[in-house]
Amino acid sequence: MSGGREQVLAAIRRSLGRGALGADARAALDARSGATDSAPLLPELPKGTPAQVFRTGLEKVSGTMSELTALDEVPAAVAGYLAGHGLALEAAVAPSLETLDWAGAGIASSVGPTRGGDYAGVSLAWRGVAETGSLVLLSGPENPTSLNFLPDHHLVVLRAQDLVLHLEQAWAALRERGADGWPRTVNVITGPSRTADIELTIQLGAHGPRSLHVLLVD
Amino acid sequence: MEPLSHAFKERSVWALQDETLQVALNRAKDGFAVKRAKAVDALPEFEALRDRAVAIKNHTLENLDHYLERYADAVERSGGKVHWASSAEDARRIVVDICRASGARMITKGKSMVGEEVGVNGALEEAGFEVVETDLGEYIIQLAHEPPSHIIVPAVHKTRGQIAELFHQNHEKYGLTRKLAEVPEMVNEARQVLRDKYLAADVGITGANFLIAESGTSVIVTNEGNGDLTCSLPKVHIVTAGIEKVVPSAEDASTLLRLLGRSATGQDMTTYTTFTTGPKRPGDTDGPEEYHVVLIDNGRTTMLGDQFREMLRCIRCGACMNHCPVYGAIGGHAYGWVYPGPMGSVLTPLAVGLKEAGNLPNACTLNGHCAEVCPVRIPLPDLLRTLRHREYQLRLGLKPMRWGLAAWVWFTTHPRIYRLGTRVQARMLALLAGRKGRFRRMPLAGSWFRGGRDLPAPQGETFMAVWQRRQRGRK
Repeated sequence: MSGGREQVLAAIRRSLGRGALGADARAALDARSGATDSAPLLPELPKGTPAQVFRTGLEKVSGTMSELTALDEVPAAVAGYLAGHGLALEAAVAPSLETLDWAGAGIASSVGPTRGGDYAGVSLAWRGVAETGSLVLLSGPENPTSLNFLPDHHLVVLRAQDLVLHLEQAWAALRERGADGWPRTVNVITGPSRTADIELTIQLGAHGPRSLHVLLVD
Repeated sequence: MEPLSHAFKERSVWALQDETLQVALNRAKDGFAVKRAKAVDALPEFEALRDRAVAIKNHTLENLDHYLERYADAVERSGGKVHWASSAEDARRIVVDICRASGARMITKGKSMVGEEVGVNGALEEAGFEVVETDLGEYIIQLAHEPPSHIIVPAVHKTRGQIAELFHQNHEKYGLTRKLAEVPEMVNEARQVLRDKYLAADVGITGANFLIAESGTSVIVTNEGNGDLTCSLPKVHIVTAGIEKVVPSAEDASTLLRLLGRSATGQDMTTYTTFTTGPKRPGDTDGPEEYHVVLIDNGRTTMLGDQFREMLRCIRCGACMNHCPVYGAIGGHAYGWVYPGPMGSVLTPLAVGLKEAGNLPNACTLNGHCAEVCPVRIPLPDLLRTLRHREYQLRLGLKPMRWGLAAWVWFTTHPRIYRLGTRVQARMLALLAGRKGRFRRMPLAGSWFRGGRDLPAPQGETFMAVWQRRQRGRK
């Protein structure tokens, strides 16, 4: 389809009233940090610690959160959540969290992607964004994307040191990962799945998880 | 889709008389405006962000060839494939060919306005594929065999009773025979039916809210999670996107995201903002094996070169229609094509021609509300006026209207005669109206009064006369 490419590009240049940009002009554009070539305008956040601001954003969109002091506490917290929701102590767990003692907390865990048969999925967030209470999850062998969307209950482990103030800081960190910085998918998740497509009535759990619970580990 | 915009007047009358539609529209009317206002008021930086957004879009459009090439090269580096479509026909053919080559049978789709614009569904169905829309609103209108009536909430014109009936008729084949009444149970039933479709689909097609040039990433914004299931479960993912969707960097996309959710639904951030770059990587346990992007021109390069370039800044938030009194009264279907409301009244004539859609720019009160709320400051009323001007120059309007305008021009360019005429008219009409102060009918203007409207009578003096009297009094 290279013919299509040249055709569209030629039409653009005709409309812009110029030919193709020279190598220097292109290099100058590539050297910019973005369209406005200045630091992004970052909204000022409400007062409080990043964890507090994050919690406010998350709760605004019907997410819930519990705070833990160590990663070891995660399985017991997940067990408590499942029991509290009247669910069997079973969960599909991301390989990144495989080494935790799930059996010790009484949880029958299956490690890896899900095909939809699991009520609860547990993943590890790469970053949390205080501004909006959002979680940033990267796809990869250690973190299957299906866990984020197919289970009814999505539980996400977030380490306090991975909390950033704005999404832009996550992009800067992603660039630092190097040439293959962008994984197949970056999921920025802000609350459980919802729809307002019937009479503009908000209903949680449209196609994705009906509830989202964050386990913030200090 | 075949445009029906030539029948705008008839369709508007139907819409005004459709009681069910009026119930649905009244429900929607204030909801969106109030939610947007709250979200905007809570962000002091909103106006400054709008300025940034305008700058981002303008810069990208001025260098569109460069950023598209950069984007396409990055996609190819990540293992994806980019296809370029000059026309709607090209786009349909490319999508059908990819689906055929992959041996697909069942295709799931996330909501894509450009997909509606070029008619992807029709082409795929004609080619023998089963196509399932997965956004709940799109799914509902697909069952009803209707086009979307709003770009964010496509089934906003439907009541829950109508939707219950549609589900009842269409879900029987899945063994779901109970007639539903409540919203939660309807959402649940659709979730159940569509879950099986996601898992069985061979190809997933989504649109894109943004394309990031730097990394070759496509961004989709959803609340339901349907777009994610569509792009991560099937073995082929196709992205359909207009060429104006590209932005230089992820930071630029983030600025626009702060405006998009707030302007569309009053959300600070939509639930799922998903950035996809290429097919699954070595070692990945899920994700598609093939990743295709179809970049669609379909008239956009023409807009880039004329006075409608600013329209290419549009991020499809729907705020303009949510604040439009005309849209609020007649809904989206009356407009007769894919895009309704103010943005649709600009885009439709440009896409299907003024001969077909000349009525749309005329169905505007020029109140300016759409431009006030547009996150990327598109001067929609000015663009609509430009289209009216073009229509007049092309002699496309109805003859009585053109004659009327010509007469008006003559009077307004002869101010003495104009003033005399209006003075006589104002006095006569005031006398004729008598004490009631209003008219119920008038010769030659019968249609205006249809449906119970009346016309307040002039007070007997023209504005100019009152003004002059006051000025004299002041001296």
